[in-house]
Amino acid sequence: MTITDFLCLSPFLIIAGAPIVIMILISILRNYAVVFGFSVLSLLIAFASIFFIVPAEPHSIKQLFIIDSYSLFFLGIIILSALLVTMLSYEYIKQLEGVREEYYIILFTSTLGASLLAVANHFILFFLGFETLSISLYILIAFQKTKDSSIEAGIKYLIMASVSSAFLLFGMALIYTAFGTMQFNEVGSAIHNQGQFSPLVITGFGMMMVGIGFKLALFPFHMWTPDIYQGAPAPVTAYIATVSKGALMAVLIRFFFNIKGFDNPYFFAVISVISIFSMTIGNLLAIRQQNLKRLLAYSSIANMGYLIIILLTGSNRGIQSAIFFLTAYFVTTIGAFGVISLLSTAKNEAEKIADYEGLFWERPWIAIVLTICLLSLAGIPVTAGFIAKFYIIFEGMKAGLLVLVFSMIINSVIGLYYYIRVITTLFANTGKTKLPLLSFTGNLTLALITLSILVLGIYPGWLINIIVKFVHL
Amino acid sequence: MLTIPLEIQILFAGILFLLGLIGVLVRRNIIFMLMSIEVMLNSAGLVFIIAGSHWKQPDGQVMFIFILAVAAVEVSIGLALILQVYHHYKTLDADAINKLKDTI
Repeated sequence: MTITDFLCLSPFLIIAGAPIVIMILISILRNYAVVFGFSVLSLLIAFASIFFIVPAEPHSIKQLFIIDSYSLFFLGIIILSALLVTMLSYEYIKQLEGVREEYYIILFTSTLGASLLAVANHFILFFLGFETLSISLYILIAFQKTKDSSIEAGIKYLIMASVSSAFLLFGMALIYTAFGTMQFNEVGSAIHNQGQFSPLVITGFGMMMVGIGFKLALFPFHMWTPDIYQGAPAPVTAYIATVSKGALMAVLIRFFFNIKGFDNPYFFAVISVISIFSMTIGNLLAIRQQNLKRLLAYSSIANMGYLIIILLTGSNRGIQSAIFFLTAYFVTTIGAFGVISLLSTAKNEAEKIADYEGLFWERPWIAIVLTICLLSLAGIPVTAGFIAKFYIIFEGMKAGLLVLVFSMIINSVIGLYYYIRVITTLFANTGKTKLPLLSFTGNLTLALITLSILVLGIYPGWLINIIVKFVHL
Repeated sequence: MLTIPLEIQILFAGILFLLGLIGVLVRRNIIFMLMSIEVMLNSAGLVFIIAGSHWKQPDGQVMFIFILAVAAVEVSIGLALILQVYHHYKTLDADAINKLKDTI
């Protein structure tokens, strides 16, 4: 280990060290506000430390880690989303009964797992990051111990995620049997030398796809999504929808581009079918939902369907558009779930669309935030979601993926229907809202999120410039 | 010394994996489902060891140790959650605790 190695690992060391400090803090003085403040501070320091690594990249540590511009960018958005989720959790977790400070410890360990996925270049690190993330999520989902639905969602996620990780692991083992290496780039060159795939390799990749597809909630492994989203505490739902999926997408893009999956007709067909079915099924099932959390769950299935189109473009530009899409999607989704978690109380989760009836006339500010988030998810101009979708369509057209792009456009129109349905409820002229007032941290976070959605929608040039100049695989 | 061909070894691990998968799908008791998941994880570990000995590398066994550790963590969290499930529902039947579903 050299000094550069330690420098490159500094964000991970901070994220891994923070929970230990919190544990000691709790044992000395159990104070919710102190633990919260410390968590926000350490995430900020971890984010700042990324800028010190930039001059050292690209750098790889012992086959396992690869620190390049691509992984640093993902690391940045993962840590920032974890920060936003932490800030949105403050009020929600504060009103729970029993121990609450431990929430932040688990949030840190899951962020550690997610950020390890962003730098993984080896099956061992892939598996460890994947499991650190999932195991922390089991606890986070079931964190509201007094609520039946939270426990049910936790055990459901535990069973299904463990099965999916067993599939992932078996797939990795088969690929290791076939090629004798577990490094992504060496697997890629071994495939390149071999030319065609043996049944062993095809089974291996297929089983890995089950594991990854489950985490990304892609068709046909999407069944868990609405149940878990509904049962989990709202900030945790925001976390699953963004950080967990984004980290898996980071590792999937790196792996897929290393093995040049887009050149292979099998992969091409499978990814196309998964993409088309994910967006169609996600949007169709969302249409009649009466529960906002389930509606957003189905919309996230559709969004992941849009996103995996870029796997097939096989170009650097495709990766860059995926990164922009993920950034916009992260901000928007955290905003939407943030509104839900700020309006929820310990007794009453604000998850039914009916709860939001006439919200605009009593709380115009929060209704406007939710409207902007939903419009961004629908991909209406002036919001970040529009630019993100535009880039995916643009890159898809350039790569000649006409069928996929066409079905994405049709699906965006279907999606518009149910987002608008929620928005009309917000502006309905009936009902008295019983939802609670917002706190200062909540207002601040929502203001930040709204601002970034609008900035990314109106003037996306600066971020695109950064991505194009800086991020390439 | 008799060596068993690689294909047979992998087939054996594959059968173990399938047994575990069938166990998860068929069994309704959550504790048995958790046990079946253990079988699946360990069968994957077995393939890693087979591959490691086939390529004469230590990587397979290293991976197996990681799998053991992770599986232990998973089971401990799983059992804690199962206690909570029993506390809430007074049953461990997976069908009986399926309350979250689409209501249209």
